[in-house]
Amino acid sequence: MDFDQCLSDSVPTLYEGNLSLVSSKPNIKELLVESACEHNKDKKGSCNAPKPGATTGGCALDGAQIALFPFADAAHLVHGPMSCVGGAWETRLTPTSWSGRDLTQTGFATDINNNDVVFGGEKKLAAAINHIVANYAPEAVFVYSTCVPAMTGDDIDAVCKQMSEKHGTPCVPVHAPGFVGAKNLGSRIAGEAVLRHLIGTKEPEYTTPFDINLIGEHNNTGELWRYRHLLEELGIRVLSTFSGDGRISEIRTAHRAKLNVIVCAKSLVSMTRKMQEQYGIPWISCSFYGKTDTSASILAIAEALGDADLIERTRALIAREEARLEEQLMPYRAIFAGKKAVLNTGGNKAWSIASALQDLGIEVVATSVRKSTEADKAKAREYLGENAILMTEPASQQAKVIDDTGAHLLLAGGRSLYTAIKKRIAFTDVNQEKKKSYGGYDGLLVLAEDLKNSLQNPVFELVERKAPWQK
Amino acid sequence: MAEVRRKSGKPLQVNPHKLSQPMGATLAFLGVDRCMPLMHGAQGCASFTKVMFTRHFCEPIALQTTAVNDVIAVLDGGDYSIVESIKNIRDKLIPELIGLYTTGLTETKGDDIRGVASKIDVPLVYVNTPDFKGGLESGWTLTTQALIDQLTAPGDRIDAQKLVLVPHVSMQPIEVEKLRELIEAFGFKVVAVPDLSSSLDNHLGEKQASLSSGGVTVAELEQLADAAFVITVGASVKPVGATLQAKNPAIQHRHFNHVSGLVGTDELVAWLLEVSGRDTLPAVVERWRKRLQDAMLDSHFSIGQTRFLLVAEPDHLAAMAASLREVGGKVTLAIATVDSPILTDIEADQVIVGDLEDAENMRDAYDMIIGNFHTEALAHRLEKKAVMRGFPNYEEIGGALKHDVLYEGGAYFLFEIANAAERMREAQVHREREQIKRQRIA
Repeated sequence: MDFDQCLSDSVPTLYEGNLSLVSSKPNIKELLVESACEHNKDKKGSCNAPKPGATTGGCALDGAQIALFPFADAAHLVHGPMSCVGGAWETRLTPTSWSGRDLTQTGFATDINNNDVVFGGEKKLAAAINHIVANYAPEAVFVYSTCVPAMTGDDIDAVCKQMSEKHGTPCVPVHAPGFVGAKNLGSRIAGEAVLRHLIGTKEPEYTTPFDINLIGEHNNTGELWRYRHLLEELGIRVLSTFSGDGRISEIRTAHRAKLNVIVCAKSLVSMTRKMQEQYGIPWISCSFYGKTDTSASILAIAEALGDADLIERTRALIAREEARLEEQLMPYRAIFAGKKAVLNTGGNKAWSIASALQDLGIEVVATSVRKSTEADKAKAREYLGENAILMTEPASQQAKVIDDTGAHLLLAGGRSLYTAIKKRIAFTDVNQEKKKSYGGYDGLLVLAEDLKNSLQNPVFELVERKAPWQK
Repeated sequence: MAEVRRKSGKPLQVNPHKLSQPMGATLAFLGVDRCMPLMHGAQGCASFTKVMFTRHFCEPIALQTTAVNDVIAVLDGGDYSIVESIKNIRDKLIPELIGLYTTGLTETKGDDIRGVASKIDVPLVYVNTPDFKGGLESGWTLTTQALIDQLTAPGDRIDAQKLVLVPHVSMQPIEVEKLRELIEAFGFKVVAVPDLSSSLDNHLGEKQASLSSGGVTVAELEQLADAAFVITVGASVKPVGATLQAKNPAIQHRHFNHVSGLVGTDELVAWLLEVSGRDTLPAVVERWRKRLQDAMLDSHFSIGQTRFLLVAEPDHLAAMAASLREVGGKVTLAIATVDSPILTDIEADQVIVGDLEDAENMRDAYDMIIGNFHTEALAHRLEKKAVMRGFPNYEEIGGALKHDVLYEGGAYFLFEIANAAERMREAQVHREREQIKRQRIA
């Protein structure tokens, strides 16, 4: 699950018109007006161009990397200068069980220089792919275009095609130069690339009635591993994942699945819609955050697969897991009783973390809906109840909200730390989930332990204390 | 001195440690108080950079982007996106300075930022830093030169007590502060340009994310030309001396390749004695020199039997190698991010411009590694030991307060390296013992 990917954003649409003449380049406009997305029914295109001087967040390349880097058996070659990968490789906390060298944690960059800008970088790119195939024997090579070669016009498709034929290793062009848009779009472009170049290129050794694909599950901090064993216990086979703990050989067979499960990634709706059209695979959307959502999601998968016996067994498994979890959570109940939390985070985290907190017996008195879609806002209201405060300007609102509600805990990004210190209440960085998994049933225990540690830590009281000589 | 290979000969970088020019420019602008660095490129250029420095320093980083998109890339020469950015920034904040710098994208499309800057009437310094040229060091230096060139008023008067200090990009905030304190102890008033010692020194401050908080002020930058001296530390910033002298030819320039180790620090202190007209050292400086001498003797046995791989920016390599070499450390391999005139002076057997794939292929040449956080995984694969230095370091906290230079920092550095080398050898002995045990059982 990558929550940042769930934020809805939009980009201008000229790229497709001007530059997308080569067939392998994605149709950006089409990706932006995805028919399966609720919000596109009443939205005009291209109104959300990034605002110069007031923009945060990564670009399309960043989004494409997030989506594809978890394939640890594939090489990820960034055809660009060092800003595009210099600080960004070996930063993806997406573990793998792949027994070969973990290529998620290996940085490859053509490091474009002056000469490549003037004379073109295609030869260098081809030589780079040769080097990678010869030395790292990947199952595939993803070649990421960036702004500079997109401007100078390197024909990455041609190089990839030629290299795929030469080496017998799929070389997949990923046309996500940063200037086409934000992370969300990059993720969609990555989905397009995999759909076009990998899915359907291989047959699975066997199939089962309960084969599923997990789409958008990146196994961040091992979240997939919190629930995958439960699916397997039920006889549900994860045929492939896009892309957490993923294998190229598996994603190539993804067209034979009976169900696509989107894990908290609206950006990949286009991919699953197209798989439904091309291969007749239905899809559902799931979240494995907190007890309530995890149970609901496992049951939803069983119901979508439509087998009465499977559904029966799933209900039993959920009852067992919930009882076990409940028992393990007992020691925390007393600590959390009567505790109130303010939540300041974006997108669907506004309700998904709220749901997890409620599972722990913490009252969520306010949440931020600044970056949420209308659907997310409605869901936040539904989860939090009518008395909760939905903050539209959390940065300026949260201090007062803490005073008004008597909250004990602030869950937010690092920037809000100072608010908590000023108010002398406990703080938990919601981005911790980028280092530790809070997913699935067991993730709730990890969250409980972290929140307990926050609530009991004296640092928030102490750090802003006045020195004895201050008046 | 060293055998130097200046070109990698490979068509790509594998496990790169090289960082880009705009990244160096970002850091330099963050060393100016109440500055908003504005990167002219796609939003990702700024985002990748912001994420990197936020994680490295564990601090919020002020940084904005002109957010060039496909339409702007094709139709705009920079006028719209830059002017619009500044308007949007100033809707919320009034920075003392906007630091405008380019990226590969906007250089490829050929924006004339100088022309755009000339039409803007807010305090602004511009600099061209395409990321397909140079690296972290050159981005830092070009920006420092631009700050002086565009802000400092020319003059002919000299304040005999005033000294401008220009550190290289790899000097940590605390190192700049310690160096300033040393010079101040000789009676000088010191202005560091850029000055990260009060902006990215891991202090608790309010609203740090909105603008840089701390650093050299714009007013100080405007009045640099009456300094009696400019000291540059690190070969990469040597040209800044001439940039300042262009504002006032009476300024004397003194350059040091580094201020590390006994000899390196002695050289600086001797010069300070000379130009300050004093004949005795401040007592604390004298004391730290003795402590360093003792540290050298205490650490020489461990470091003297260790073969090192250093992975860093060129100036940082020169500094670390000098410290290690003074106690017999064998720097068998030094891998630089980019080419630099200093490479031939680095006290190492072999110096190459390369990446961590090169380091892996040359694994037999060294026992211990000093480099950025990527060398941790490398050391793990090779069953060696790594000590973290340089950009970026996502593994450890507190990097901004790591002090490796001058007498004092030199002592800390030697202790840390000697202790790490001992632990590495102990782990090796332990591994061998376990192996023998397993063989006996089998």
